[in-house]
Amino acid sequence: MEENKVASANEEMLNIKGLVVHYETEDEVVEAVNGIDIVINRGKAHGLVGETGAGKTTTALSILNLVPDPPGRIVSGEITLDGQRLIQFKELTEEKRAELEEKGAWAPSEPALTEREYEHIRGNKVAMIFQDPMTALNPIMPVGEQIAEAISLHQNLDKKAAMERTREMLEMVGIPGIRADEYPHQFSGGMKQRVIISMALACNPSLLIADEPTTALDVTIQAQVLDLMHELRDKFNMSLLMITHDLGIIAEMCDEVSVMYAGRIIEHGTLEDIFDNACHPYTQGLFNSIPNIEDRKTELRPIRGLMPDPANLPKGCAFCPRCDYAMDTCAGRKPEKVWLSDTHCVECHLYQAGDTRRKL
Amino acid sequence: MSNNAATAAPAESLHKIYKRKSQLRDVWHRFCKNKMAFVALCILAIIVLAACTADLFWDYEKDACELHISEKLQHPSREHLLGTDEVGRDILCRLVYGARVSLKIGIGAATFALVIGCILGSIGGYYGGKIDSVIMRFTDVLLAIPGLLLGIAIVNAFKPTVFYMALAFGISYISKFTRIIRSSILSIRDQEYVEAARAIGAKDSVIIFRHILLNCMAPIFVQYALCIGTRILSVSTLSFIGLGIQAPTPDWGSMLAGARAYIRGNAYLVMGPGVALLLTISSFNIIGDGLRDALDPRLKK
Amino acid sequence: MSNNTENRDILLEVRNLKKYFKRSDGFLHAVDDVSFALERGKTLGIVGESGCGKSTTGRAILRLTEPTSGEVIFEGTDITGLTKSEMRKMRAQMQIIFQDPFASLDPRQTISQAIEEPLRLNGIVKNKDERFNRVIELMEIVGLAERLVNTYPHELDGGRRQRIGIARALAMNPKFIVCDEPVSALDVSIQAQILNLMKKIQKDQGLTYIFITHDLSVINHFADDIAVMYLGRLIEKAPTEILFNNPVHPYTQALLSAIPVPSIHSRRKRVTLQGEVGSPINPKPMCRFASRCPYAVKTCMQSEPPLAEIEKDHFVACHLHN
Repeated sequence: MEENKVASANEEMLNIKGLVVHYETEDEVVEAVNGIDIVINRGKAHGLVGETGAGKTTTALSILNLVPDPPGRIVSGEITLDGQRLIQFKELTEEKRAELEEKGAWAPSEPALTEREYEHIRGNKVAMIFQDPMTALNPIMPVGEQIAEAISLHQNLDKKAAMERTREMLEMVGIPGIRADEYPHQFSGGMKQRVIISMALACNPSLLIADEPTTALDVTIQAQVLDLMHELRDKFNMSLLMITHDLGIIAEMCDEVSVMYAGRIIEHGTLEDIFDNACHPYTQGLFNSIPNIEDRKTELRPIRGLMPDPANLPKGCAFCPRCDYAMDTCAGRKPEKVWLSDTHCVECHLYQAGDTRRKL
Repeated sequence: MSNNAATAAPAESLHKIYKRKSQLRDVWHRFCKNKMAFVALCILAIIVLAACTADLFWDYEKDACELHISEKLQHPSREHLLGTDEVGRDILCRLVYGARVSLKIGIGAATFALVIGCILGSIGGYYGGKIDSVIMRFTDVLLAIPGLLLGIAIVNAFKPTVFYMALAFGISYISKFTRIIRSSILSIRDQEYVEAARAIGAKDSVIIFRHILLNCMAPIFVQYALCIGTRILSVSTLSFIGLGIQAPTPDWGSMLAGARAYIRGNAYLVMGPGVALLLTISSFNIIGDGLRDALDPRLKK
Repeated sequence: MSNNTENRDILLEVRNLKKYFKRSDGFLHAVDDVSFALERGKTLGIVGESGCGKSTTGRAILRLTEPTSGEVIFEGTDITGLTKSEMRKMRAQMQIIFQDPFASLDPRQTISQAIEEPLRLNGIVKNKDERFNRVIELMEIVGLAERLVNTYPHELDGGRRQRIGIARALAMNPKFIVCDEPVSALDVSIQAQILNLMKKIQKDQGLTYIFITHDLSVINHFADDIAVMYLGRLIEKAPTEILFNNPVHPYTQALLSAIPVPSIHSRRKRVTLQGEVGSPINPKPMCRFASRCPYAVKTCMQSEPPLAEIEKDHFVACHLHN
């Protein structure tokens, strides 16, 4: 799978439209994701950056319909993977639709596939790696077996062929094939994460979702793992959704960035758009508050306050209470998405469509 | 240091303003939210109340112990709400007096086991090493002896009074408490907040009591409640086979034993003590669970 | 290692500190012959990756873990020789802030109880009401609202919990605080808040810090001097500016280059280390970094390099730079 100049009309690998996910418990409703759009093209890497509680992991789980239900529920949205619909809007009668529109409620959605069909996609077309390599591997099974399991679930290979492929995959991530019979506890953290990567890539997925894959690793090991992911991405022309809070990793690995806050994508653009021309006060605040090893003179300027409780979001813009540029409209009305250029969009009352100048 | 309103206000009043609302009230509220636990507590309260006020309604000697053969085996009526037993005594009366015995032994045994278990478990768990080994071997020995047989042995060696029975049934449960407390301490001992306490200069005793034991309260209380329940069952068992509480002292176990020969046609004879045992033991169990949930400040509903 | 300590106000001196743990297969050299001196009012950053021994060093200095050998001289007194009760009295002057703001607080204590405890236990303030006032004062210093006095740790977010930890450490007016990864468990935007707070407190109260972290980008805003550790040994120590501008030890170079920079114009060339970290159990008498070092030569496999001063205040343990 060298180059993918497929004559398919669709360059889009993943298209998420208007995704809304809630966690509903007895006491409260946690609005984890509140209407986001993400488009990832074939072979591209998309970074989803935000802090804890922004809704990034929930977004990732929704793609594969893995949001724990109950209490989680995909309320609305449409997710399409390489032309195939994963989550679709429900068919509604005209009057029901009008009723909902009047109430201002979200258009309801439902899973578009059966569980069996989802299972067919998971690990096969879309692979996901999580943050903690310590708990992602079964401690009582040799790693080779775990990788082979993933392979035999999706491909019609006999046992011997599956083990062959397993060893190939391990070598590809830099682990000697003979270690396939060892148990997870015999590997270090970095190596475990590599095993997980090889498991994820065993079936040549078109999309890899990586949720904070290196947060638990040491910095020099992180460098190794990121290099590996970069190399493999190029080799397989795989799309990547990289979820992280670390802007440095985004700068290294991604082509496009979406900044998430309180369940909404408040800014999106190419690397240049975000790193050189961040428009949203939150994005700029993030850059100001993180230490930059190459720019040591500046003082750290933290964002005051805390992220809002997702069970209790404020009426207007969710960032307003912490924003130094807040205006009167901000507290009362949620900002709409505004396109500043072909690639750069932002949700902020400070901007109108076509504004290219930063107002910060 | 800093000149703020806090230091300007008289020292006393500030403290009173922030007088911490009692932790006990918090626990109580959480406990009451649990309907089953609350009901169980009420049932138990009724039983205890009845046991304490029995003398208001009956005379112990006359109603609970003396034989009234002429009135034997009467079905429940207005005069004898639960009927009379095989020698004519009012069953309800005996039930209530029997509660006293059961509760005394149950709570006595459980408390004895708890206190000894706490001491042994804390010392063993916190200090480890040889002390721990000795204590653990001691509890192993205790575990090797079946509780009921130990009870029979002690009761035969001494007198079958409430005190010795409580002692006997308490001893057999020490091991359980010791192990539970010891494992709780082991799991907490290496937590960072224990280290933090040491860093601010706390002595070992303070660390063990304030930081470790109090944080193990949940399993201890659950076990305590369960323990009372099982002790009551053990006493009744022993009395049922005739080796426990001796006649004429009323006890639920011996009431059941006496009723055995007459069950056919007189089902009411076993209903009383049977239901009493069921309610009491279940209530303790449910209260134990309820306490555990109410005591953990981290458990959200 | 001798240090030019005469004309400086040295608060703490650590000499040949060792901490070995006995394991079934040998001795784990967690801290192996670490020495340095710390000036009053300054911050020393100890950096390294997991397993390098930095946390153990911090705890050994405070004798929360007993050192296997070596001396810790605090204001002229060797505290390794003190008895248990003498050490308890010493603790008021040397405190610690922990990494995990949840695990380091007793879940059964309210904020005020947690902050009050050191005052109560050490008899610093005997009157209950005065103690309470001091608690409020401390809460204000660390930026905790008065109304939070009766809340429990689990009701608060990580940033606030860490402030409780800081308030607790400050309660006894210490001279010296070991900060063990104090912001690693916090969200990015909260990290900056806490770091700024700690810096301000240091200035206001003339504190001396040892700041332990794996995050070099954080340390650069905070420390005056930095010591880099690897597998229990101190392999480079220099003032911050010098370390970042001119890292000498190959490990330091690799470490600095591995940090992802949040900028798309970074010109940095990355040195990716091969292989895995060696084992700290019964290490052989050779440079512990040799197996991964791109510049290793024969001498590196044969003996441990001593820590040598290559320029003023810049120490390196490397055979190539002796």
